Amino acid sequence: MSNRFGLPNLGIGVGLRTVHYSSILQAQPKVDWFEILSENYMRTEGRPLDFLDAIAERYPVVMHGVSLSIGSTDPLDRQYLGELRALRERTKARWLSDHLCWTGVSGKNTHDLLPLPYTEEALAHVIERTRAVQDFLGAPLALENPSSYAQFATDSMPEWEFLGRLAEEADCALLLDVNNVYVSSRNHGFDPLDYLRRVPFDRVVQCHVAGHTDHGTHIIDSHIGPVIDPVWKLLGEAHRRAGGVSVLLEWDAEIPSFAETHAEALRARAFIGEPS
Amino acid sequence: MSDVERQITADSLGLHERASATPAREGAERVAKHGAAPEWTRGELTLRAQQEWFAAVVSAPESEAAPIDDASASRLVSPSKTLSSLERIEIYRRGYHARLIECLTDDYPVLAHTLGEGAFEALCRTYIARHPSRGPSLNYFGRHMAELCRADSSLPAFCADLATLEWAIVLGIHAPTAPALGFEDLAQVPPERWPGARFEANPSLSVLSLNYPVNAYLQSFRDARPALAPEPGKNVVAVYRTGKSVWRLELDPALVTLVQALVDGATLGAALEGVQTLLADRSEEEAAALVSTCFRHAVSSGLFSTLVL
Repeated sequence: MSNRFGLPNLGIGVGLRTVHYSSILQAQPKVDWFEILSENYMRTEGRPLDFLDAIAERYPVVMHGVSLSIGSTDPLDRQYLGELRALRERTKARWLSDHLCWTGVSGKNTHDLLPLPYTEEALAHVIERTRAVQDFLGAPLALENPSSYAQFATDSMPEWEFLGRLAEEADCALLLDVNNVYVSSRNHGFDPLDYLRRVPFDRVVQCHVAGHTDHGTHIIDSHIGPVIDPVWKLLGEAHRRAGGVSVLLEWDAEIPSFAETHAEALRARAFIGEPS
Repeated sequence: MSDVERQITADSLGLHERASATPAREGAERVAKHGAAPEWTRGELTLRAQQEWFAAVVSAPESEAAPIDDASASRLVSPSKTLSSLERIEIYRRGYHARLIECLTDDYPVLAHTLGEGAFEALCRTYIARHPSRGPSLNYFGRHMAELCRADSSLPAFCADLATLEWAIVLGIHAPTAPALGFEDLAQVPPERWPGARFEANPSLSVLSLNYPVNAYLQSFRDARPALAPEPGKNVVAVYRTGKSVWRLELDPALVTLVQALVDGATLGAALEGVQTLLADRSEEEAAALVSTCFRHAVSSGLFSTLVL
């Protein structure tokens, strides 16, 4: 246990996806843990919860959200936070996370992870809201560095500085997505290892890896296909700096069988110094 | 009365994750079109102003020019070595529309197949402009599709009913359910209490009264059989969930009468009388047999979950 929150290293997990529900429940494969997409199990009283309950009964679960909109200038959605808290109690999730982003404004949700301007004003705003969310949830929130395709002209600091200061001043945890570091480094022209050198690893409770789509002029964080070696190497570096951390593979498009997805996740072993 | 055949459905839903990464879809046109500079981009760039501005561009219909000019775009977003400011924002605009179109395609696979990719995407773009998401979850984002189809006279008339049926399947997935009442439960009831018994429907049950036989049309799609566009014709379909399975059950007039009466709270005696009245042109023996079959089908299909004596 190397993070300051005392959260355990769960091993190598897989993002739970609807196409795998049946095969997981039938075969009950040996998987260290699953990460669920929180919003898929909110505002429903039906089948998604039936599957989730069955899986949460057998495996450790972590919640990963996409609609907290921590950076939005709209008021925090207290109903949503209440539902998040209830889902955490239902699944006994080890922790919950969302993204350093905003998803909408003026009451509309784009359901996309929109970039924040990295300014003092935005930093103060996100610190205040992160504190409020953690107070409401009664638990640390892990915020994930996003992939981004645009940088605001008003930026006054790099993302790693924004993230580090936010984590320190709001006392929150971090979910370090090394694929996002790679994607943003290519889109914005920085050295991903420079980014990792600035991350406060005592606050990193989880790492993400994923595939992406290279369009030549830019890279999209599509979570498609296998993870490329440069991203695995970043994971190895992050894992070493963190002194061991929970690792999770996200695969969201053209998803193969569960066995193939899990096998891809387990490739992490070769890069984090675990026997395969 | 024809044999009652219920059809399992909806297990193929969820092909696209509702909450996930940015869709990789790349627009055909890489050079972004742009519009005029809006007045408000000249004001102070507070966090709020930047978000309102960014959201307005991202959610603008893709068929229209971005509501911003190049100079204003670069005031907000820096260009990269390979993309202009506006092109970088356009990545988000494409991602926004692609995700919501994926969501609607997931909810309406047969409607999408029927209209073809181009026409369905055009319909989705209209939908997204008229009904933007206002909540954290996309589970109910597609709820206005039947209404939109009904208002669009350029679409085949049966599309509104098809959308109604497909949406009922989505509702069935997300509705609570309860164990189905079985014959073994009914066997415990003393005969003298039967006429006064009431039945509570499965909580997920929707009974759809449609003007086109779209259930058979939908089933053809699921069976990968060719299907002609349905001609007008009454079609009553019950959609409900037992366990993890969502079912579609076509109801003939006798079953409609029985199920609707029981759902509305009538006693079994009154509901069966209604069925008998419907069968007034049959012989007494034939009508009695049909009523009995009708009731057995209603129970064996799992439409009811509780018996109230």
